[in-house]
Amino acid sequence: MSSKKSSDQSGSSTYSSDRRSLLKIFGAIGATCAYPFQSEELYGQTAPPEHHHDPAPPQSEAPRFFNQADFALISRIADLIIPDTDAPGAIGAGVPAYIDMVIARNLAQQAIVADGLRWIDAEAIRIGEKKFLELGEEQQIAILEPLCAASEIRSGAPWGRNVQFFAIMKSLTADGYYTSRIGLVEELGYKGNTALASFEGCVPEH
Amino acid sequence: MKASSDKVYDVVVVGSGAGGGTLSAHLASQGADVLVLEGGPKVNTRTDFNTHGMPYEFPLRQIPTMKPGKPGFDGERSRGLGGKTQLWNAVALRFSERDFKGRVHDGAGEDWPFGYAEMKPYYDQIERQVGVCGNLDHLEDLPDGIFLPPVPLKCTDKAIQDGARTIGINVIHVRKATLSRPMNARPACHFCGNCMSGCDVVAKYNSYDVHMIPALQTGRLTLQQNSIVYELAISDEARVNEVRYFDRETRAQGAAKGRVVVVACACAQSVALLLMSKSSRFPDGLGNSSGELGKNFIPHITGGFEAFLTDFIGKPGTNDEGFLDHAYIPSFMHERKRDYARSFGIQFNYQNRRSVGWARSMKGMGKSYKDSIKARYPAYITLTGYHEMIPNPESYIDLNYEQLDEYGLPRARRHWRLGESDRKLFDDMRTHCRAILEASKAEILSAEYAPSTNHEVGGCRMGVDPKTSVVNEFCRSHDIPNLYVVDASVFPSSSEKNPTLTIMALAARTADHISDRLKKGEV
Repeated sequence: MSSKKSSDQSGSSTYSSDRRSLLKIFGAIGATCAYPFQSEELYGQTAPPEHHHDPAPPQSEAPRFFNQADFALISRIADLIIPDTDAPGAIGAGVPAYIDMVIARNLAQQAIVADGLRWIDAEAIRIGEKKFLELGEEQQIAILEPLCAASEIRSGAPWGRNVQFFAIMKSLTADGYYTSRIGLVEELGYKGNTALASFEGCVPEH
Repeated sequence: MKASSDKVYDVVVVGSGAGGGTLSAHLASQGADVLVLEGGPKVNTRTDFNTHGMPYEFPLRQIPTMKPGKPGFDGERSRGLGGKTQLWNAVALRFSERDFKGRVHDGAGEDWPFGYAEMKPYYDQIERQVGVCGNLDHLEDLPDGIFLPPVPLKCTDKAIQDGARTIGINVIHVRKATLSRPMNARPACHFCGNCMSGCDVVAKYNSYDVHMIPALQTGRLTLQQNSIVYELAISDEARVNEVRYFDRETRAQGAAKGRVVVVACACAQSVALLLMSKSSRFPDGLGNSSGELGKNFIPHITGGFEAFLTDFIGKPGTNDEGFLDHAYIPSFMHERKRDYARSFGIQFNYQNRRSVGWARSMKGMGKSYKDSIKARYPAYITLTGYHEMIPNPESYIDLNYEQLDEYGLPRARRHWRLGESDRKLFDDMRTHCRAILEASKAEILSAEYAPSTNHEVGGCRMGVDPKTSVVNEFCRSHDIPNLYVVDASVFPSSSEKNPTLTIMALAARTADHISDRLKKGEV
């Protein structure tokens, strides 16, 4: 936990502020520094230390928090945020199970997400007279895009609950995807964590 | 092994990090009989850290510091052997004469009781022991040292170096206590990029492997881990006569005796231990007749940016994690007109490419969103300024008796507020960071607009006047003749430079002083 930040440029904290502790909070997911747009209360990334040694979940585990219908709904939303391209997208990378696991641990986000899913279906019925999953892709995107745009406005009035819902879904999808082997290695081409005989530095390409 | 409670050591040292590890090794090599009490568990650097973990190996995608079943580094009072040097980034910078004499130069804050000339031989000694890579840059404000060859800059470093040059700002090779070639049976760095996850080959310095293990072989250093010190008790003659601790696991109590006692628990924890050690003679904390204990807390103030270097957007990815940051921007404002005291330095390009947390902050959704992240992945950099702050009455450390820790001890609580000069400095630092990024054709993704803290310094100020300082110029308590404090808590001013090399040099200097007093029979 870093020293608390506040707009009056002061703070108090009972925790060490060394950079390592920041790293620990953001873990593999966050940047090496705490940035304002990745605050933990928004995204629920901070795992209590007692969870650190959890064994890896079995691959075929059933959803813990979402029922089957809601799991299908969050899977579709994650798929629309990060679709298949040359590399598999969110579903291929197992992101829905990651979202389920994080939400199962985060009481504050559960209600927002549950409300968001109800709203999504209500909105789908309002504009297309069908549930969200039964709409065509264009209509599904048309429902999500205004929330996505609103979630990019970082100043002014607080976000509405549906925007908070979308922001949670987008963050968890991005986190789950880019920390997966598919996202990090296959899609982004991560090459590090290897032993080099020497660091060559910047060798001109010729 | 538990220390025999009857035995009186020459020196009892509390803590095994940059301060305690260095000091205890120096004392043992000089012939003193030394006991080190470390609150954390024994740590095997080579086997106990998750050094090479990948996020997808863990369900929450966070890489735990320690391997399963290996305790340590899970709280302030139970870090482990080597303290924060196990997990530091190893930036090793000498303070300059101006850093020791800031008040002389700009009239604010407090000076050290001595200057660079006094510290230079100790910096030399420490650099020879630990191995620091760097370039000879001949800068007045960042003295050169005894360096191993520097590590080449990354392409992204060169882009920032070229950009910064256009606005008259100098980018140099970073100086780190990480080996660029083998030394003393330690291998050279292999650039896996996991420096802050515990360097399992000890190419990066840590105090346990580099300083303490050789000292243990002298037979004069006794190491007792899992011993959380909660009180220093004093005799009628106002000398520390017992170092009281309990076992981290069993909670069994014990006490150790030393002719000299050194507190080296890392800044706020050292202050907390002294504040907890209340007695009728020192009701406000041990050695606190000045009332200054806990005051003058001056952590580094930081603010960071995330950005994309546009020249690298869409380029093929490379393995450029290296040993995190390879470059550094030393302070330059001392040379320029300004309306505040002190200065700042900038660290950049220290991100690990396993961390893609910034993906959440990218705009849009769908294929264009995914493609924009892929294109920017090789172009992503971090850049963070660090500045010195001037002590003020609202920045201090105290104890929080309402929030006891897992051991029932009060937590150290940090309070800080920037003064007017500090706020101007913070704003100017941010302006320059942004200017450097813009000159480097960077697209800024996010910026911290509120200051945060890093590198804890102060709270146990060193000085010649017992009314305004807690320890004297040899880090010895003004009140208690056999009590020393050796960590960044004693720094009268912080500089903008990372404190660890100076902690080590100060520990070497203090060890010489204590050895000398022991030999003369003064303690």
